[in-house]
This record gives sequence, C-alpha cells and structure tokens, in this order.
Amino acid sequence: MSRASILNAVKKNKPDLLPLPEIDLDVFSENIDLVKTFIGNVEFVGGRAIQLGSVENIDSEIKNLYPNATKIVSCTRDSNLGTISISKNTNPHGLETIDLAIVKGELAVAENGAVWISENDLTIRVLPFITNDLILIVNKEDIHLHMHSAYKAISKRDRTFGLFLSGPSKTADIEQCLVIGAQGAISLTVLIV
Amino acid sequence: MAHADEAALFNKDESKVDWHDKALWFVRQKRDKSAHKVKGWETLRDLASAIKANVMSNLDNYLVQFEENAQKNGVTVHWAADAEEHNKIVHSILQQTNVKKVVKSKSMLTEECHLNPYLEANGIEVVDTDLGERIVQLAKEVPSHIVLPAIHKTKEEVDVLFQKHLGTKPSNGDPQYLTNEARKHLRDKFLKADAAITGVNFAVADTGGIVVCTNEGNADMGAHLAKVHIACMGMEKLIPQEKHLGIFLRLLARSATGQPITTYSSHFNKPAPGTEMHIVIVDNGRTEQLNREDFRASLHCIRCGACMNTCPIYRRSGGHSYKATIPGPIGSILSPGKDLTKHSDLPFASTLCGSCSDVCPVKINIHEQLYKWRQVIVKDVPQPVVKKTVLKIAGRVLANSKMYGFAGKSARFILKHAPRFVTYSKFNAWGEARDLPEVKDDNFDTWYKKRQKHE
Repeated sequence: MSRASILNAVKKNKPDLLPLPEIDLDVFSENIDLVKTFIGNVEFVGGRAIQLGSVENIDSEIKNLYPNATKIVSCTRDSNLGTISISKNTNPHGLETIDLAIVKGELAVAENGAVWISENDLTIRVLPFITNDLILIVNKEDIHLHMHSAYKAISKRDRTFGLFLSGPSKTADIEQCLVIGAQGAISLTVLIV
Repeated sequence: MAHADEAALFNKDESKVDWHDKALWFVRQKRDKSAHKVKGWETLRDLASAIKANVMSNLDNYLVQFEENAQKNGVTVHWAADAEEHNKIVHSILQQTNVKKVVKSKSMLTEECHLNPYLEANGIEVVDTDLGERIVQLAKEVPSHIVLPAIHKTKEEVDVLFQKHLGTKPSNGDPQYLTNEARKHLRDKFLKADAAITGVNFAVADTGGIVVCTNEGNADMGAHLAKVHIACMGMEKLIPQEKHLGIFLRLLARSATGQPITTYSSHFNKPAPGTEMHIVIVDNGRTEQLNREDFRASLHCIRCGACMNTCPIYRRSGGHSYKATIPGPIGSILSPGKDLTKHSDLPFASTLCGSCSDVCPVKINIHEQLYKWRQVIVKDVPQPVVKKTVLKIAGRVLANSKMYGFAGKSARFILKHAPRFVTYSKFNAWGEARDLPEVKDDNFDTWYKKRQKHE
C-alpha cells in the first residue's frame, strides 16, 4: 500500500493553506416561475413534463401515455397501476423486462429539469435505468430554483444511493446526432401534482 | 511523430477536418448559450476555482477525511502510487471476487493507466459501455476527446465497425439504428458482468461519497447489476463538502455539452446489501504536479472538455495528434509533467489565443501555463538545430533596431520582387494554403515619421 508515501508527498508538495470561499447564494437568486421553468427544462433535455390537477388523475394520465405497458413497477402509493411488486430482495437482473417504472421523486430542480430520487424511493437501485420507460412524480411545492437549494434540502438524508435524473438516457456519440435511448430508460415523463 | 506531423495526417481528409472543426465549434456555441442563461455564472467559476485551490492546499487532510468516511460507509479504499499499482489493485480485487467479465464506464484515469490491456492480458473481458468508448474499443483505438470519445469517426465508419463486430445490417450509418443495436449488445454485457468499473467525477471529503455523471446511464447499469463496483479516481477529484457539488454540477455539463446537467448524476455512498464497493485513489504523477507552483492549477481540471471544443488547434488537428490520454489544451499542460521529453512538442501546439482559459469552468490559466511550459522545455529539452538557429538570429535582429530596420527593408524588397516560386517555397509554411498580404513600401516606423513631417 502506497498510502503513507502518497500522503507524505502531498504534505511536502502542497502550497500554503488557502481559504475555502464563502458562498453568497443571493447572487443566484431569481424571481421566476419555478413550475414553468422546470417544465421547459425537462423538455429541453428530451423529457416530457405534465402538470396534473390532482393526484387522482395520475393513473388515467399514465394509462393514456403508455397504453401498451404491461409489466409495470410502481414504487409509490400515488399510482395503483403496478403489475409487478418488488422488494429489497428482488434480484435486479429480473427487472430487465420491465416496461414501465413509476417512482415518486423527492424534489426537483427548475434550472436543469432534474429530479432527485434516492434508494428509498426506488427499492432497487437499477430500476430507473433498466426500465424501458420511466415516470417520475413530483409535488409542485418541491421544485427548487437551483442546485444549491436542492443540496440544502437533501443534506439531512440517509446517504446510501441517490441521483439527480434529468431527461431520458441519451447519446450523441455517432457523429453528434442526438439519439434518445442509450443504455438507460428510453423515455421520461415527469408528472407534477 | 511530432504533433504537427500527426496533425498534417489528420488534415489530409479536408472534408472530415472541416466537419470536425464545425462539430466542435457547435458544441462550444451550445456551451455559451447554456452558460449565458445562468445568473451568476462567473461567480460559479470563481467559486469553483477557489474551492479547488483550497483542495490542493489541504489535499492530504481531505484525502484522509474522505477515506475515513468512505470506510464508515462500508467502502474499501485503496491507494495506488502509479498506473502499475492501480492496475494490480484492480486485478487483485477481481481475482479475489472471482470475476471474469467486467463492464466499464468512462474513466480517463483507467485510460491513463492502460487498465484494459492489463486486465485482458490476465484473461479478463473488459467491455467499455459508453457508446463512444465502445466504438473506439471495437476499432482498437483510443478516445480522441474526453467527452466525445469517437468524435473523429464518421457514422459510415461506425456502421462498418458494427457490421463486423455486432453483426448489424448495413444502414448507411443510421445513428438511431446503430445506437439501438449497441443498446441491445450492451444490455447483454451488463446482465452478464460480474463487476463494474466506473470513474469518479467528484469525491466528497465530508461524506465519503462519490458522484458519477453520465448521459447514457451506462455507469449505473453496470454498478447496480454487478456484485462488485470498483471506482477509480485521480486524487485531485476531491471536493471538501457535499454542498460544493451544487457549484460543480452546475458548471460541468454546461461547459461540456451545453446541457444544464448530465442525465444521471449518481451519488454513491454505501454499497447495496450483498455487494462490494471499492475506491482506488491514484497518484500517478499528481503529487509531482502539485509541487510545481506554475502548473499545479492544472490539477483543478474537472474534465469537461470545453478547452478542446474551443481550441483552434485541437479542432483542426484531432485528439489523436496529441499522442496523450488527455488531448487538447489541458492535456498539453498535464502531459509534459508526466514525460517532458515525450510531450515536449505539445505546449507549442497552441496559438496562445487564450480561448481555453476563457471557457474553463474552474478558471485554469491554461494558455499561460502553455507559455510557461515552453520556457521550461527550451531549457531542458534539446531543440531542432534549425529552430534554435533561426530563433537565435531572430533574437539578435529584434534586439538591434538598426539590424531590425535593415532586415525589414530587405524582406519587403525580396517579397516584392522575388519570383513566386521563391517566396512560396517550402520554407514558407504560412504560404502553403494562402497568399501573403500585399507588401507595402514602408514599415510602420517610416510611415509614421513621414506622416509627422507632412503635418
């Protein structure tokens, strides 16, 4: 193990201590319509965001959007469309044929269309990636202006695994042509309630 | 071969170079549009720069803090002094867990350490799962760009490659079809892999967590399906606190591709039950670079690739011409620190226009460092006789106003009266593809004096 030698070399070679800067969040504050900005950014990153009147409309909206989905995993009480139930003991490889996953996001970020979801919301970590299509549900009160505010909101969480997810999986690796649907979910719909 | 010669090869296919140039400039423009939408963008850059400077000045303590926190979370932390030790550590983890098939997401560090050939020589299958990286892997090449690894390949070339290796039908390079076929091919690899290797975009000292950013979802598909996850990181990837991610994630994707954030920004803190997670912290020349006052800021780099997209040299010479894992402006200040003789031509592969420094999200003074490396190189590395002699003569002429005046007069006379084949001989590199401007009778000095007289 080179641990000691690396740390010693760093100690010897590093410059004198420089201070951590103070972060003044006022610089980033903006008085904008958070829901509208969020929806615009979800569309910009290749997803779709729909604002619903109430939680009761969720299932009819999903049926309308994905009429052919049969293997559905729902990780939220907001939807009763789940046809396959999963638990912490489910083998992640078994999720390979899932058509649609429905997950409740904890919060969303207006500036980039991202939704924060964590292991608690997913049950199985690979779910939002391995599913063919993905639906995320967020409350409109949980939309934050920017990432600084979002990190403040998740600072007290139990840290296992979590992610900011913005749009469907995509790539432009072949001649810079954007193709939606690389290795993860090929579509993303965010339902705002 | 020197960078200039490699660039000349790349320039043989004029239409491809034009495409490469424009495609990257388009990415640069997307970066601009995206950056201009953010209130306080310059403040973000200032903060990122200052945070990274603080990290470098306290790196040993942050590393220890990170290690402690990661261990508390059930992650095994390894330390590697160089590429060889890194490869051995990764291999030994794979051996201990009896792994034969590995999927790997993008990691410039493992490219730097040449991990793939090492593991393959030891009988382990390694599949790169980022589409661009899979393309270059199948072509037995290396990435030519850190964010867009296959930017040097045409869609027709990818078509032929996939026909050969994935058994696809000829499609005239249909990106949708080819990406879809790659998705099926890689799904199979993800499902069969025993271990996943990923890079690390950010390692957070105060939580012991790491963040991995992708657009394709390939890092997560690998890490969450395999029973072993190995994350390899250069020691400079550290940031002090989780809240600092707010700053860096706002900058990274906007600078890289103009997206407001990558599709997936995954925060790994604890391994999932029944799985193992390892983090390998690698030095490989970084502590030496930390010791170089003029060049240590190069370690602030967050690998967005913005300096490549904007660089007039990179765009017209292609990433492979640099013969280094990290090409482009940032690579040209990192590589000489690793092997000064091998990479001594790279700091000269620049116009010193400064555009790289202007777009750098962590405000590395890249063009100034390029200039400083030149000072080091001409002292330490033997220069070609012609270049040395010409510069010596030029130095003398420029230092003596009479000689300078005479030389200017002679040059103007010759350029005006010498036949074209003399003026545009092979010694005039400038004239290879364009005409010189019209030659005037006077230089500025004489013109100015004449003008003063007339007034």
